[in-house]
Amino acid sequence: MSFSRRHFFRIAGTGLIGSYFADVLDPRLLLASTTTANAALRNSAKSCIFIFLSGAPSQTDTWDLKEGAWTPSALAPTSYGDLRWPQGLLPKTGAHLDKLTIVRSSLAWAAVHSLGQAWAQIARNPGGATGAIAPHIGAVVALESQASRTVSDVLPGFIALNSGGIPTCGYLPAKYAPFGVEPASEGLATLAHPEGAARFAQRWDLLHALDTARANGSLGKASLDMNDFYDQARTLMDAPGINTLFSFDDAEHERYGATTFGDSMIVARNLVSARKGTRFVQATLGGWDHHSDIYDPAAAQSLFTQGAELDNALGALLTDLEAGGILDETLIVLVSEFGRTVGPLNGQGGRDHYLRNSVVFAGGGTKGGRVLGQTDAQGANVTDYGWSAKRDVRPEDVTCTIYSALGIDYTKVRTDDPLGRGFEYVPEAKDGGYQPVEELWG
Amino acid sequence: MNRSLALLLAAVMTSGTIPLPSAAQNAGKRHAVRFPAVSSTIDGEIDAKLQQAGIAPAPLAGDEEFHRRVTLDLTGRIPSPAEVDAFLGDPAPATRRARKIDELLASDAFTDRWTLWFGDLVQNVQASTNIREYSLGRNAYYSWIKASIRAAKPYDQMVREVLAGEGNSFESGVANYVVRQIQRNGPPQDTYDNLAAHSAEKFLGIPMLCISCHNGGAHLEAVNTYLRNKQRQNFWEMAAFFSRVTTRGSRYTDPANPNANIIRYDVGSNPAGTYRLNTTDGNKTPRAPLSGQPATVTPAFLLTGEQPRAGEPYRAAYGRMLTADRQFARNTVNQLWKEMFGRGFVEPVNAFDLEKLDTQPTHPALLEALATQFMTGGYDLRALLRTMATSNAYQRASVYPGTAPDATYFAYRNRHRLPAEMLLDAVGTATAVPVRFNTQTLGVITSAIELADPLEARRQSGSQFLDRCGRGDRDDVARTNDGSISQALSLLNDPLITNRVRRANNSTVQKLLASTQDPGTIADQLYLATLSRRPTADERRIAIDYLRSGTLGDKAEDLQFALINSLEFLFV
Repeated sequence: MSFSRRHFFRIAGTGLIGSYFADVLDPRLLLASTTTANAALRNSAKSCIFIFLSGAPSQTDTWDLKEGAWTPSALAPTSYGDLRWPQGLLPKTGAHLDKLTIVRSSLAWAAVHSLGQAWAQIARNPGGATGAIAPHIGAVVALESQASRTVSDVLPGFIALNSGGIPTCGYLPAKYAPFGVEPASEGLATLAHPEGAARFAQRWDLLHALDTARANGSLGKASLDMNDFYDQARTLMDAPGINTLFSFDDAEHERYGATTFGDSMIVARNLVSARKGTRFVQATLGGWDHHSDIYDPAAAQSLFTQGAELDNALGALLTDLEAGGILDETLIVLVSEFGRTVGPLNGQGGRDHYLRNSVVFAGGGTKGGRVLGQTDAQGANVTDYGWSAKRDVRPEDVTCTIYSALGIDYTKVRTDDPLGRGFEYVPEAKDGGYQPVEELWG
Repeated sequence: MNRSLALLLAAVMTSGTIPLPSAAQNAGKRHAVRFPAVSSTIDGEIDAKLQQAGIAPAPLAGDEEFHRRVTLDLTGRIPSPAEVDAFLGDPAPATRRARKIDELLASDAFTDRWTLWFGDLVQNVQASTNIREYSLGRNAYYSWIKASIRAAKPYDQMVREVLAGEGNSFESGVANYVVRQIQRNGPPQDTYDNLAAHSAEKFLGIPMLCISCHNGGAHLEAVNTYLRNKQRQNFWEMAAFFSRVTTRGSRYTDPANPNANIIRYDVGSNPAGTYRLNTTDGNKTPRAPLSGQPATVTPAFLLTGEQPRAGEPYRAAYGRMLTADRQFARNTVNQLWKEMFGRGFVEPVNAFDLEKLDTQPTHPALLEALATQFMTGGYDLRALLRTMATSNAYQRASVYPGTAPDATYFAYRNRHRLPAEMLLDAVGTATAVPVRFNTQTLGVITSAIELADPLEARRQSGSQFLDRCGRGDRDDVARTNDGSISQALSLLNDPLITNRVRRANNSTVQKLLASTQDPGTIADQLYLATLSRRPTADERRIAIDYLRSGTLGDKAEDLQFALINSLEFLFV
């Protein structure tokens, strides 16, 4: 059995080159034609850090602070110009308000956690026509950035930190699925062989001496794809300094708040700063589903515990990205599946599910220092949408915004989907149904 | 049915498929019955098409390759060295492949492997985007599936029971078919639609979801010519079969976990239930009657227009019509063919176009012949799988001499990566150190294929390996056998693998070293334990040289590590 692909690799040289060209040679993607409305794109960011606050934080205690008899003094509402800010909850983030754009006219579609979470990560109704085959938006970013990868881009395009159970590559090839990492101070365990480098080299050589199918392709295309993944894994193991990107010392761990989410933010910073092929980093911070005792300082997970974990890490991330000159090319997005009920607390001292919520952006060429959209006195309804579309900002619009910032045509329709109906990167965007929040840029 | 298909079918009928014993004849002696080899049914059209294209098929696989393949495909496990020796030493080589197939079909491992398959099909999982079955509901469903597969319940009966399932979801496994499809963010019609779309996709292979929001016309011309002519009304008529289902949730106190907030569902029937066209919210475009049409929908089976009989419960009627339809058999054949051959006659398997039955399948006459056999043979999954496994087409070598033709010809074995659970279990079997899963409600499980769903034992290292290897979540992450960098990194560096090849924990390497120091024997035995075959002369020489190049124990560990990472091990 002979495969022209294998032959090509020999001509091209190393497996690394092979993997670089792999898509060009993948018939499924080669044949994939697309249509697009040729949207004007911002193309102002190289990568995106997508922070998912799962469980849904109370927007009226954070980004859209509404004060009332219920407000605990520990929130310490403070004025920054005409913005009221929960200084007691988010002091470190408050020091970076000049970089943030808070969108208060955001509205979720579904008040069920799992539905809302999936919706925000695949930019469509999970129960809709293409819900079951839809890739995570990070997988689309990884696919779209494949063509511009260079030989030094050894890292996967989409890395998910502490984000198990999220949507993956949908119908796209598995190489675009999130590369999942649970950050640990010693780094990524599977980047090093447990029996040592010398033993690994012997094992690798023995494998290649015995496994002739790797060289001659006699077991077919899928096995050659697997061999490519082995070559990429080896490249990742051997590339200098890769595991330092996934590692951190005690001092950094403390500075980012000494929490799991803080560790994720350290690794996210490292990944986007390294510019080694990762374009989309997701990190998840859960524990926001405060149906009861939201302000209780003794509760294991309250607004204050989760707020501190977020604030310590996000504050340090913004400080470091700015100092490193990376913030301008890194779009940071904070989303949740929905918001929480407003005004006085419920009978259990908590807040329940509510569709209105806020989305926060920073960096990536966005302007910062502003609020888009206003809600009424208690935050129940929008009084001003705050953007040109003059309607609620939906998860689909947030996705258009991310894609535009990264130079990805959000109106694109792929024709390689298994349903044969055409896969829209963002449903209805080609007809103007959804659009980027252009106001972020000016 | 169009004319060319009718002709084609007539040709199949007259050329004589071999009649199988009826379900009744078969009862009580299911595994003792020997069906005649029907490889001629399968090989007739496949060979004719190869001949027409001027393509020579690959030779038949050797006994070792066949043995590993059929054991994995039918039972999800790799053969042990003892099984390999018993198979190769069988005194009647002319019939040993057929007898091995029968042995596998009758094994407990067969039940596990096909319980996993059906669990994937109906997406039995404790928690999904839509709803929670909870581990209690999931367990009841899992037990029902496993018992049904073990007892060789006719497949049409299994599906009818699922479609009509009632009772409390923690005791009546089949009640969870409905529970799984409850759509919480919409009107009840959304749930009825889910049930119709799911059952049509999984049991008929028809992408009926396409017409759940709009008519086929102006949407599906390029996708599905059959559905192009169907209206949303036709879909509603399918969904209306579910309009009498009731799902009453109530708080359940689990004695083992009294503080947990658990909802149990009672699935029942409301004899007055109807499908109303009166919605403007939820997950579908608004439902409203066409002008002059009634505001409620009468159930009618989309493929035939048949309506429930007087007094017949709606869901029972639906199950009766669906399983009696030839498309049900056709779709099941296609799905099982994909399990055995790596791809279906129709791909994707959920995209049948009923107006293109003579051109869409790669082998239309064969698909029809197998469907006929499945129907007349009492919808016996084992009989159908036996027919496939005994064919020449199934038993071909995977290495094709020369440039490989397109996989659609089935001229050679088109290998795929072992599904996640089979891969991890193969590592456990090869090293004799099984991976343990401490499950919440089903105790300790030592084979991944027996996990009741992909969320069980979620945070354990074995589970993370399974996720990386694409087992999916029976919800919004589909199963895939694609590779990835993280899979390769795990196979190379995860202690889950590297610890198991160590000479410790009563592993294969440890036991082997205790019995021999001879490099040739060690090479032979590690090949047998890992790849279920003996090494070739070249492989044996390389392995012996390597084993002699340093500390024997280390080198033996290295050898099994290399064999586990070989493409031959990872693929079947």
